[in-house]
Amino acid sequence: MTDIATRGTRVVATTGGRSRHNGGGPRAGTIAAFLIPFFLPFVLFYLVPIAYAIGQSFLVVRRTGGQYGTSYTTFGGFDQYVQVFQNTEFWSSIGRIGLFGIVQVPVMLFVALIMALLLDTPLLKLKAFFRIAAFMPYAVPGVIAAIMWSFLYSPQLSPVVDLLKAIGLQPDFLGPGAVLWSAANVSTWLWTGYNMLIMFSALQAIPQELYEAAKLDGASNWAIAWKIKVPIIAPSIILTTVFSIIGTLQLYAEPAVLRQISSNISSTFTPNMLAYAVASGNNYQQAAAISVVIAVITFVLSFGFMRLTSKRAGL
Amino acid sequence: MSNTATRIRIAGAVVAAAASIAGLAACSSPAPSGDAAAAAPAAACEPAKGNVTLQYWNTVPGMDQVVALWNKNNPNIQVEMKNISNDQYGTIGNALKAGKAPELAQVGYDELPDLRTQNAFVDASACADATAAKSKFVPWTWSQTSFGDTGVFAFPQDTGPMALYVRSDIFKKHDLEIPKTWDEYAADAQKLHDADPNLSITFFDPNNAEWFNGLLWQNNAEMYGYAGDKWHVTVESDQSKQVAEYWQKLIDAKLVRTDLAHGSTPMYAAYQKNQIATYVGAAWGYSMFRDNLPDQAGKWTIVPMPTWGSSAASGDWGGSTVAFMKGNTHLYESVKFNSWLNTDPEALALENKLGGLYPAATAGSALPALAEGVPYYNNEKIFDVFADSSKNIDTSFTWGPTQKTVNLALQDALAKATAGDGKLADALTAAQAAALKSMQDQAIPAVAGN
Amino acid sequence: MSNQTAMRESRVSRTAVMALMFLLAIYFLLPIYFLIVAATKPQGDLASTFGLAFSHFDLFKNLGTLFSRSDGIFGRWALNSVIYAVLGAAVGTLISALCGYALAKFKFRGREFLFSVILGGVLVPTTALALPLFLLFSATGIVNTYLAVFLPSIVSPFGVYLARIFTAAAVPEEILESARLDGAGEFRTFFSVALKLLTPSLVTIFLFQFVGIWNNFFLPMVMLQKESLFPITLGLYEWNGQTARVSLLQESVITGALVSIVPVIIVFILLQRFWRTGLASGSIK
Repeated sequence: MTDIATRGTRVVATTGGRSRHNGGGPRAGTIAAFLIPFFLPFVLFYLVPIAYAIGQSFLVVRRTGGQYGTSYTTFGGFDQYVQVFQNTEFWSSIGRIGLFGIVQVPVMLFVALIMALLLDTPLLKLKAFFRIAAFMPYAVPGVIAAIMWSFLYSPQLSPVVDLLKAIGLQPDFLGPGAVLWSAANVSTWLWTGYNMLIMFSALQAIPQELYEAAKLDGASNWAIAWKIKVPIIAPSIILTTVFSIIGTLQLYAEPAVLRQISSNISSTFTPNMLAYAVASGNNYQQAAAISVVIAVITFVLSFGFMRLTSKRAGL
Repeated sequence: MSNTATRIRIAGAVVAAAASIAGLAACSSPAPSGDAAAAAPAAACEPAKGNVTLQYWNTVPGMDQVVALWNKNNPNIQVEMKNISNDQYGTIGNALKAGKAPELAQVGYDELPDLRTQNAFVDASACADATAAKSKFVPWTWSQTSFGDTGVFAFPQDTGPMALYVRSDIFKKHDLEIPKTWDEYAADAQKLHDADPNLSITFFDPNNAEWFNGLLWQNNAEMYGYAGDKWHVTVESDQSKQVAEYWQKLIDAKLVRTDLAHGSTPMYAAYQKNQIATYVGAAWGYSMFRDNLPDQAGKWTIVPMPTWGSSAASGDWGGSTVAFMKGNTHLYESVKFNSWLNTDPEALALENKLGGLYPAATAGSALPALAEGVPYYNNEKIFDVFADSSKNIDTSFTWGPTQKTVNLALQDALAKATAGDGKLADALTAAQAAALKSMQDQAIPAVAGN
Repeated sequence: MSNQTAMRESRVSRTAVMALMFLLAIYFLLPIYFLIVAATKPQGDLASTFGLAFSHFDLFKNLGTLFSRSDGIFGRWALNSVIYAVLGAAVGTLISALCGYALAKFKFRGREFLFSVILGGVLVPTTALALPLFLLFSATGIVNTYLAVFLPSIVSPFGVYLARIFTAAAVPEEILESARLDGAGEFRTFFSVALKLLTPSLVTIFLFQFVGIWNNFFLPMVMLQKESLFPITLGLYEWNGQTARVSLLQESVITGALVSIVPVIIVFILLQRFWRTGLASGSIK
């Protein structure tokens, strides 16, 4: 290490702090060569589709030629957006997702936080086992997890239902009131471990000295946890919250799978399901408008949340 | 290059690129010029010079064996098959949008107008064999596939004339006559349930618009008509409301199960456990019980559907056609295969045996398999019942040009009603609104009422 | 606080904490255990025997049925998932690393602007893009091909974000300086010097992207109609929708689900020392 350091200083000394290129870094062409392999696909497959969808969302369909005449598209202004906002199904799906998110996200992150904190204390034995157990669901694709849980919700196949019936309960996981929470449970199962791991890694990075001072003052483990650890890892909590908000708004796979076995999930249960149903009905312009609205709402909520909390977290 | 200047330049470039793409995308397709008002001319029908491979998409069990039979005997016209049972219309729709539709695809009668509105078909009437096929099919089926004889867009494959499947042993045990009218059916429902609270007369699956539409069809509840350049939408009508209110009464009195999905394992389990006494079904359903409930052989009988009053009307549930899809450049060969597939006695017999299809071809009723008694059903000649049912199907019943969307809206609303949120009749209102709105979205002229 | 009270309290806390974590562990492992048990049963036993207890051991028979069904389409799906996820994540990691490295180590005008664009991209999930991508791809005719799923999958703004912070943390400026002094070009420096230092971080990025692509459902569902192109997620979803018509399919869905989660679990266990260090060194702020 020292060698390199002295070498470096020697160079600075001889060349007087100036080098061949712009501020000592590589040429513009080289920089571009590093950036383009990512940015070209990024533009093509992130930005262009968004622009294309926005473009399509300003079109409406017109028709000439009688009963089975040909259709064509023409500029329609904000027509499609007006229709989205007048669509009661759209607002129902947003409301459902909102309810889902307001309950599921805090519950899941709270459990994740508790687990992370517990894993960070000497109170717990078998830490590796619990860490792996919690993280296993992350290895399961959402669709597969939903299929697995759909078996656990099914009155015919589920051992859970059997056990609950044995103690006299009549569980109906697929009923109209319960099915939203059954879907929420799948999301929670899938992502708690992942979120816990993010928080846990942040906890691991905290230097032990911070605790020494507190312990000398006689602080209990719980006080240390809430007053020291949580505020320090606040950025990771915010990160997981933002990702969870984003994920909730995109919900598709879990309700779609449960829809295969429960008639209480409509084809427009979540905003994405609505967009897909509309696209399947060949109304691509309306589907584009719905997609744009979902994307904007996602962006506003996640960005807004980050802004709101960034001051407090010192980001 | 100054900091701010470069940043502005880069930002400007990005915005300009995005705007131009958005602008290009917003470039509407030009309105078709005057002549488009005339129907597109039928495509040419030339035999191909060399060998031809056709793509045929369908959902029929065992169809691969039928196709194999054709392929064996027709080396010059090979057919590749694909099963699209999961999301049949999503698959077809996406393929059409991508310009990669197969030559032939299975399309239900109720989806023909919808797909025609999407320009999904090719008119094969330039092929002599195509127009000559008219006489080979049951009239109402040809009427629907030719859109009232305006072209040849598909060949009918099978139909689903409806009838009532009855567990005669259960009815005998409870000393009940098999019902002939819906009133009798409701009365029997009450008696069965009173005698045994675990017994229901049938189940009501809200996620089965096709079945429900068949019931509406039976009551002459015509939903769509085309007159004076406009579609007339009458999904909500007295006849359809009568059907909805009838089933609502049965549901309210808890005489029918609402928790079972048609064709699902729980459904079969319920029948297996003798919890359900009848099945309101179509001809193609006969193999369902035969294959899934083998130990109930001899206990089932098939009788005509209960009727409204004294009319002998019946309804059709399902059945499909094999359509000539857009982009088909091998019409000559397609017509040959399609014709064989749906009129050749050997093919029809195989489709009936493996897929449970009840042929739409008039030759179908002469099939030896259909003239025999069926062992599972006490050796009864069940197909005679279906043949009779076929004769009583209203031939003027029309499907709508956005049937897929309407079916979906109907199902969502029926499901809500069975869950206790609203009534079945509300689903008709919802479907009516969905029909009008979806047609408006597609710029299809439509009005409510006759 | 006396020693005895402290010990008693801590024993009570310890038991309470262990009990809680055990309950949570059961919650997380239950569906997987159920899957394992169910995959060993013949179709008939699924509904008639208790779900958490083994009955007949038919696992190998079920596996045989699974892989031979429909001319071995499941094996095809598995191969597709591997292609999409391994190749996609590999390419994605490379381009993310190149980009993140440049953003961390090169000073140039517009750097922060580009980084904000990337952060914006992190906030837009792939599901939101799937339908717009479908509209675009179908207009250009590449729907229903491998590329339709592969190309969008390699773009991972989050990967670039991770690469930037990992590079800033793990690659000291001095090493780069000395390499430059030795006359190495930027690319040689990157590949021979920086990559070695970044390996645990790269594995982390690879794993995140791998899991993301392996789990991706909405994009393939929207893009693909040809069964032979499906990843496992889409294939099993399709089968699951058909179990009403073909009831024997249910056992294959269950066995297939088990098979689909095994590779990822193995990959994680094999590479765990990498991603644990990777995450720690990044210490996601």
